[in-house]
Amino acid sequence: MAERVETMVPGNVWKVMVKPGDKVSSGDVLFILEVMKTEVPHTAGADGTVTAVHIAEGQEGVDAGTVAVEIG
Amino acid sequence: MLEVVQPGLETSIQDYPGRIGFWNQGFPPSGPMDSWSFRLANLLVGNEAGTAGLECQYMGPTLKFRRDGVIAVTGADMQPKLDGQPIPMWESVAVKAGQTLALGPAKLGTRAYIAIAGGIDTPEWLGSRSTFHKAGVGGMEGRALKPGQVVPVAAGKGKAGRKVKPEARPAFATDKRWTIEVVPGPNDDWIDKAGHERFLATDWKLSAKSDRTGFRLDGPQWTFTEKATNKAPEHGAEPSNIIDQGYPLGAINLAGQTPIILVNDGPSMGGFICPYTVPSAAFWKLGQSKPGEVYRFKSVSVDEAQELRKRLKALCTPSSIV
Repeated sequence: MAERVETMVPGNVWKVMVKPGDKVSSGDVLFILEVMKTEVPHTAGADGTVTAVHIAEGQEGVDAGTVAVEIG
Repeated sequence: MLEVVQPGLETSIQDYPGRIGFWNQGFPPSGPMDSWSFRLANLLVGNEAGTAGLECQYMGPTLKFRRDGVIAVTGADMQPKLDGQPIPMWESVAVKAGQTLALGPAKLGTRAYIAIAGGIDTPEWLGSRSTFHKAGVGGMEGRALKPGQVVPVAAGKGKAGRKVKPEARPAFATDKRWTIEVVPGPNDDWIDKAGHERFLATDWKLSAKSDRTGFRLDGPQWTFTEKATNKAPEHGAEPSNIIDQGYPLGAINLAGQTPIILVNDGPSMGGFICPYTVPSAAFWKLGQSKPGEVYRFKSVSVDEAQELRKRLKALCTPSSIV
């Protein structure tokens, strides 16, 4: 089942752990945002293959609710 | 009593006005960043306006109630749900033992407040229950809430269905732009005329490297008067260095070329100049803005700042509740 992982908080993109084609399992950390000098990890909600990554490391001022990673 | 199932990003116990009277010894007031929304939440559940409640930042918590009570959620829109059913904000709601309150990510605004009839009953530290993370004091074990903690709540009688009058609520920016009042000083004479004009004409962007200690702003370079550039060496090497001084709460502290607004958990002294100060009545806007949003500063007099504070205080009274 396709999953679109959205950013939960606004902030800067600290790390992106996945690229298109990667296989991920539910609970894997996909990317980490930085807000309030705190790392906010975002995880996959289901098993699948990453089909698209819409954020990049170092990107600043990403809004909450932005589709960041798509899993097919 | 309520149990922390999920703590959210950083949820902490705060009271208003917080830990007052220890600034000279380095202890900031702490307390809710948006004290307007916070005080209204307490009034909705029949508490004194300053009673200890929860501040939820960016992502709200999931809490399970261990006894019946009355709660209110105000501030940022975190789409609160009780046992999966949406509940209104800015209104008191009855909860039953065993029910679960879940708040999500902040849609509009940044900080939501949860008040509970009776108030949170953790021990006071220096006269306040407010959490001051940096020193690890107040709140629950001096830190943000953690999963599995049980938060004590005093007995109280609230009434469900009480609402905040629409005109008594803060209006959060929907276009990502905020006008923030500032009072010039204490070190405004270190900035030249062009520097002042630039400060007041610039769209300053709030950095993600902002927390309850300081709000960092991205914008243009500053220019200085001779006071900053031609001074005794003990002031320090940078134009913005000054012999260590006390900082006012809300100071726009110029660290090199980066302005940082010193907020509720900020430092009380240091060696940088503070050309402007944000008055307390504008703090709620800082508390509800997100990284990447824009501030425009508007210079006001001390009298005007005090007038704004009085007006806000008048709104944070039972007359705003119906």
